[in-house]
Amino acid sequence: MYPLISSLFVLPLIVSGLLFVLPKFLSRIFVIITAFFLSSVSVYLFICIPGPIRLQLPSYVNELVAAADIVLLLFFAQIAIRRKSLVIGLLTAAQLAVSLYLIKNNSLESSFQLVIDKLSCFMFLLINIISGIIAVFSLKYLDGENCSPFRKRYFLSILFWFIAVMNLLVCSDNLEYFFLFFELTTLASFLLIGFRKDETSVRNALTALWMNQIGGLAILIAIFFISYHGYGEITFSNLVQHGSGGALLMPLTLLSIAALIKGAQMPFSKWLLGAMVAPTPVSALLHSSTMVKIAPFMILRLSPVLKNTPVAWIIIALTGFVFVASAVVALSQDNFKRILAHSTIALLALMIMMGAVGTPVSVMAALTLILFHGISKCMLFLNAGVLERVFHFKQTSDMDRLAESGPFTSLVLTFGFMSLLLPPFGAFIGKWFSIETIGAVSNERIIGALVIVMIALGGAVFSLLYFKVLGLLIARTGRMDRFRFEKESPYYTVTIIILLAFIIGGVLGLPFLMTDYFSPVASNILNVPVRTSIQGWGIHVESMRLPIVPLLVAFLLLPTTIALGMFVKFKNVDRVKEYACGEKIDYSFSALYFSTDKATPYLTAIGILLFAAMVMVAWLI
Amino acid sequence: MDLIIKIIFVILAPVIGGFVYGAERIVRARMQRRIGPPLLQPFYDVLKLADKRKMIVHSTHAFLGLVHCLSLWFALAVLVLGGDLILVIFLHLLSTALLILAGYSTRSIFSHLGANRTAISILTYEPILILIAVSVFMQTGSFETSSIFSYGQPLLLKLPLAFVALLLILPIKLKKSPFDVAEAHQEVTGGVELEFSGIFYEAVYTAKWLDEIFCYTLVYLFGASNPALGLSLVLFAFLFLNALDNSSARVSYKQMLRFSLTVALPVAFINLLLSILQHVV
Repeated sequence: MYPLISSLFVLPLIVSGLLFVLPKFLSRIFVIITAFFLSSVSVYLFICIPGPIRLQLPSYVNELVAAADIVLLLFFAQIAIRRKSLVIGLLTAAQLAVSLYLIKNNSLESSFQLVIDKLSCFMFLLINIISGIIAVFSLKYLDGENCSPFRKRYFLSILFWFIAVMNLLVCSDNLEYFFLFFELTTLASFLLIGFRKDETSVRNALTALWMNQIGGLAILIAIFFISYHGYGEITFSNLVQHGSGGALLMPLTLLSIAALIKGAQMPFSKWLLGAMVAPTPVSALLHSSTMVKIAPFMILRLSPVLKNTPVAWIIIALTGFVFVASAVVALSQDNFKRILAHSTIALLALMIMMGAVGTPVSVMAALTLILFHGISKCMLFLNAGVLERVFHFKQTSDMDRLAESGPFTSLVLTFGFMSLLLPPFGAFIGKWFSIETIGAVSNERIIGALVIVMIALGGAVFSLLYFKVLGLLIARTGRMDRFRFEKESPYYTVTIIILLAFIIGGVLGLPFLMTDYFSPVASNILNVPVRTSIQGWGIHVESMRLPIVPLLVAFLLLPTTIALGMFVKFKNVDRVKEYACGEKIDYSFSALYFSTDKATPYLTAIGILLFAAMVMVAWLI
Repeated sequence: MDLIIKIIFVILAPVIGGFVYGAERIVRARMQRRIGPPLLQPFYDVLKLADKRKMIVHSTHAFLGLVHCLSLWFALAVLVLGGDLILVIFLHLLSTALLILAGYSTRSIFSHLGANRTAISILTYEPILILIAVSVFMQTGSFETSSIFSYGQPLLLKLPLAFVALLLILPIKLKKSPFDVAEAHQEVTGGVELEFSGIFYEAVYTAKWLDEIFCYTLVYLFGASNPALGLSLVLFAFLFLNALDNSSARVSYKQMLRFSLTVALPVAFINLLLSILQHVV
């Protein structure tokens, strides 16, 4: 077991270094083999891990981590000076001060630094499979990138280095370790957003940096609080054992704030939107599937102590608000990647909310969403890459001929969008769980009712958004009745088909996934056994029942109809042009838009208010 | 026995829908002091449409229209046979989605405008339906419609505001004036329906009847345990909708959205809060 686990940390690092020296062909083969190996290991670990494995690292590793902390912060300081950014400078200085104080006080000492439990393995699964697929995809994608061969190697190298960091992050128990990896993902995000080196990229990279640094600072202050009040070891497991009483609510709040920033919740959503200028594999990997999932991951880790606190209720209110707001804002977007980014923010809000509620049903729902959202968002982003490289468009309004020029891409995109809308994904599972919220939390039912309104509204707005994009995807003229799937590079086709297979397999196997694989993870998170079973035609999670057959029918109805709609041909009918009452109007066949520019400042203000409320509440109690 | 009646009801739903539609045209005509068409007019229309030359814009469009009708029928079946309410609402949403997609799939401006407006009308009624479903859950402890039948008391007395909310959104859902922007004949000449013809139009036309049956079944649920009350509620809703349709002028889609978000949604929300409070006490 140990060699396998350490291979998840070490192998990506080795590959990351080797990519600089190996010749191109060899490095391609190497990348593919590594991707396959890492995915297999993560699947094996997820299935076979017996119980939590605690690792105590030798003390020189602690010193190494401390040194890495300082070097990283000095690097940030150098960025601040070079880019003349006051905010980054101040934040880095604050982080340095707190870090040095903490290192002096031996906060790195704890009995176990790394704990690999079911939740970590669940995250391994997500991280390694998605990253592997994206690494293979970017082998081809980078060919079209306008930069030197060295930069291409550098790009891939950072991707692999990022995998190692993510793998370490999800199993670090010591908060100082967690802080280092948290900041390293921030760094990866900064480097990759700025990869294209043009003015917007650099500006957006800096925004992403300082916003996430606030998160880093929040973690440091949380550590400071714990050690100042003498609550013992500075680890997640210790925090969860101690409960939320007394002064511990403040560190919990701060950690949640770090999570919310990483998850780009309003008012910090700007960094994720700006991050869309990065090459598409980066958006797919960091900004939709894996890195931003740190947010729900942290909340899930803390959820046994966080739930039922006033802070949790504010988090729920905030995320409910973000869910609706970002859905509405997404309606006003035309850029394909930005639409995806907004929907990522909204679904992250949903996941965080479920984590904060922390009942068995909501935790199960959060896990399902984390995994499936990762897969389907990854697929959509890879398709956005294909659209950009092969069909040369970035706006959704250009897509209205796609059904004819690229039927395969159009069909796959259709599946991707529907997978975000249909059960067991986003909208439906949200409704299922939110009802549980009301039932579960007896004394806070009013907030529960508000949550339901938010989810119902946001869900409806989302359906509107997805229908709009789907409508563009299936639009066609009557002229082309025969079509032929276009041929693309195998790197593109194979990766996308694998993801598609995951989605379809996941949906069909959902009952078994939930009962056999997700419920142990949920039990692990909550420290109580979560009872799930398949009885007759329903999945039972605790007292909730999810009907399987109608669910599958609902899932299969829309996709199969649209897929069939592409192939079906009616015999003995005449073709006519559109009647349109004989009107000849010059009309661009895009879709409906609302302008939401006026509302944006209000949305940001509400976000800030809720964040402030969170800190206030924690302070007062 | 009960089940057999329900199954027969589902199978005959299009026919019953046709009669309802025919009766509706007569009632509306009488309100305007006209005689109106014969009761069987919708069925004469079917015969006429079936006989027409088959013309389509493209296969996808025609096919989506057909499946729209079938999936709506399926949603109705799940509703009547006692399925999960949230799922029923979702299935209904999916079948509407197919119609919207059919509208977007052609390159006809009216079809597009109609699809846009139908999409917006989803936004106006779907959240409210969900809120109603949740408050029903608070009362009966289950989402299954069969539990409403076995609940013992009519829901109307328990959730009067939910019934009001439902009445407020029914005109939107059934595309009755003042909320008939989605098919507004004078503006977008029927919207999504425009590009369908012949037997394919018949599918969309039947779907409208099924939609009526679907909505009146929802109304009936409020008096489910007492069939007489249920039927009188349906009759009341029927007269109310047609009187409203006859006596009001069309509003724009923005006004419709505003009405839904500021009037119907708060009503549904207050209803939810009340049912929660009842539950606690």
